[in-house]
Amino acid sequence: MALLKLEDIHHSYKMGQINVDVLKGIDIHISRGEFVSIMGPSGSGKSTLLNILGCLDIATRGTYEIDGNRIEKLSDSRLADIRNEFLGFVFQHFHLLSHLNARENVELPLIYRGMWGNDRKRKATEALEIVGLGDRLHHLPSQLSGGEKQRVAIARAITMEPAVVLADEPTGALDSHSSNNIMRIFKKLNKELGMTIVQVTHDYEVSLHGQKTYHILDGVIERIENVESGGGV
Amino acid sequence: MENSKKRGSFLVRWWFTAKMALHGIVANPLRSALTILGVAIGVASVVSLMGIGEGARRAVVEQFESLGANVITITAHDPSVEFDTEYHEELIERVVGLEAATPVVSDKASLKWRRTRGRVDFLGVNNQFPFIRDHELASGHFFTSLHVKQRSPVVVLGYNVAISLLGGRNPVGKSITIDGNTYRIIGVLKEKGIGKAEDIDNKIVIPYTSALKISEKRKVDAIWAKAASKIEADLAIVQLGRIFKRKLGLDQKAPNFASAKEGEEEGGKEGGEENKGSVKPVPKEPDSPRPTLPSSGDNLITITSLNKLVQEADKANRVMTLLLGGIAAVSLLVGGLGIMNIMLVSVTERRTEIGVRRALGAKQTDLLLQFLLEALYVSIIGSIAGIAAGIWGLDIFENQGFQTAVSFSAIKIATVVALSSGLVFGVYPAISASSVPPVEALRSQ
Ligand SMILES: Nc1ncnc2c1ncn2[C@@H]1O[C@H](COP(=O)(O)OP(=O)(O)OP(=O)(O)O)[C@@H](O)[C@H]1O
Ligand SMILES: [Mg+2]
Repeated sequence: MALLKLEDIHHSYKMGQINVDVLKGIDIHISRGEFVSIMGPSGSGKSTLLNILGCLDIATRGTYEIDGNRIEKLSDSRLADIRNEFLGFVFQHFHLLSHLNARENVELPLIYRGMWGNDRKRKATEALEIVGLGDRLHHLPSQLSGGEKQRVAIARAITMEPAVVLADEPTGALDSHSSNNIMRIFKKLNKELGMTIVQVTHDYEVSLHGQKTYHILDGVIERIENVESGGGV
Repeated sequence: MENSKKRGSFLVRWWFTAKMALHGIVANPLRSALTILGVAIGVASVVSLMGIGEGARRAVVEQFESLGANVITITAHDPSVEFDTEYHEELIERVVGLEAATPVVSDKASLKWRRTRGRVDFLGVNNQFPFIRDHELASGHFFTSLHVKQRSPVVVLGYNVAISLLGGRNPVGKSITIDGNTYRIIGVLKEKGIGKAEDIDNKIVIPYTSALKISEKRKVDAIWAKAASKIEADLAIVQLGRIFKRKLGLDQKAPNFASAKEGEEEGGKEGGEENKGSVKPVPKEPDSPRPTLPSSGDNLITITSLNKLVQEADKANRVMTLLLGGIAAVSLLVGGLGIMNIMLVSVTERRTEIGVRRALGAKQTDLLLQFLLEALYVSIIGSIAGIAAGIWGLDIFENQGFQTAVSFSAIKIATVVALSSGLVFGVYPAISASSVPPVEALRSQ
């Protein structure tokens, strides 16, 4: 059974009087443990789709189910819980809070979960060790490189041990070395921790790390590509 | 299990939300400091202005109260209507509610004590003076009716006079020379304070019979009477008004009964046009030596109840205090607007942060609380700083010689208004922070 189930998803933005249709009927089923890439030209609706997958936005039309739960019907507070417990976010521009150090940034989802001090610190440290930053706990974002920042962001996304990690161009602001590093981490999360990963990317190389690539064009799925080996590196 | 987890979850979230709100203030120290300053100025001005108003009110009340409770003063402003020395006795008999009365003669005389010479204000009264004025003696005793009748050369010193003549030593039993005649000091009045009770501390008190002789008078120009209670004082004034109206009825000029409401009405009814204009206003200056000084020569007699004066002055000062407080409250409002302004800027600047928090699982209530607390912190810190500054300001005023009062109610009002303005002006920014859809918050870059 599919973990994430999008059926006939339509989405439009209101621009004053006119509606801009961005997604025009998307069906995607993603199973537990899959590593999926979404590709497409700029403006084709990739981020819009990922936001809907991440419960940050609700589709104008169509149904979205997570593990059998209809999302459109849920309250804002429930959606916050789902984002907190079930989904991890990685953004192109990291979005770390600049006044908090690496570990405190990672602790944020745990705080919103309501976890007490020591447990929380332990879990945040573990997550940072997974991404190889066990020695950077007290660095402020301004004291970290781009690649390191993104790894902190990944640690923040996985510290709640979510079922799904959603990444919108996670390597978009990084060089190829750091990109490879991030991809290695994603594959580790996918293989060793069994996390489902959905990433949006512009980079064909990067998309090859996943098992399946959805090519989106103008709001519809143009084709689905199965990647042979599940990627190299 | 599930339950305790939930409770723990709220505590941790609120605790950290409170911490993060503090971060929001520390992150922009200058901006926060200026906003806090805005609130502090508002609070400080409420506290200090109301303190000054309250101080002025108390000064006036104390001033009047030092003259004795339920005292009515009757003052003639023209030699033609001056009183016989027995007239006060007639008044006690005719007017219901009057307990005691004394003729009053005041003038200056030369004073000699050993090698010290000078001039001193004296007060000529009868033996009822301590009772009428609620004035006790520091040492010795007051003169008796016999002293008065026999025109005995006895004197009671005001507190400061006693101190300056004899230092700390007890002057009772010693003699001083007044206007060439030797008087025996039989008592010293208790200290009333600077300017209190018509500056009695710097005067000497002698039997009015002696006083008349010194000032070469046969009649007195003032009578002080004491009523048994406030109500009786009010009634007595009405009666006194009638008595004097009849007494002076044939006179060309109509008498004027000022200050007392009843007197005013009567004066208005009877005195006609000419009178209305000359109704004497209630003196409000705390340092005016006599509340009964005539404002124009038209007045022949003034009948004044101190109760009335106290009430009127008290009311006027209360209004002034409130007015000052109101003016200061406007600056509090401005401080509140400052909070709102800065919070709106902050919310706009931190949209991405809001989006990230929402993506990580923050609920609307978490963000609402965070931004509301941020506004509240500003107003709390501002209130504390403002109260401190206000009290400090009052201290400066006090040192300049003004009477001030740190009024608890002013502090209460200022704090409540500051905190609620923090809440009121923080609510809108906080709501706008919490109600941005997560996608839009994240997109705004
Ligand atoms: N809030 C909005 N209001 C109006 N139009 C929007 C809004 N958000 C997105 N759009 C439009 O929707 C379309 C898809 O946007 P989206 O961000 O999903 O594209 P994308 O595929 O992620 O592009 P990119 O690769 O450049 O990130 C774009 O044409 C964009 O202009
Ligand atoms: Mg995009």
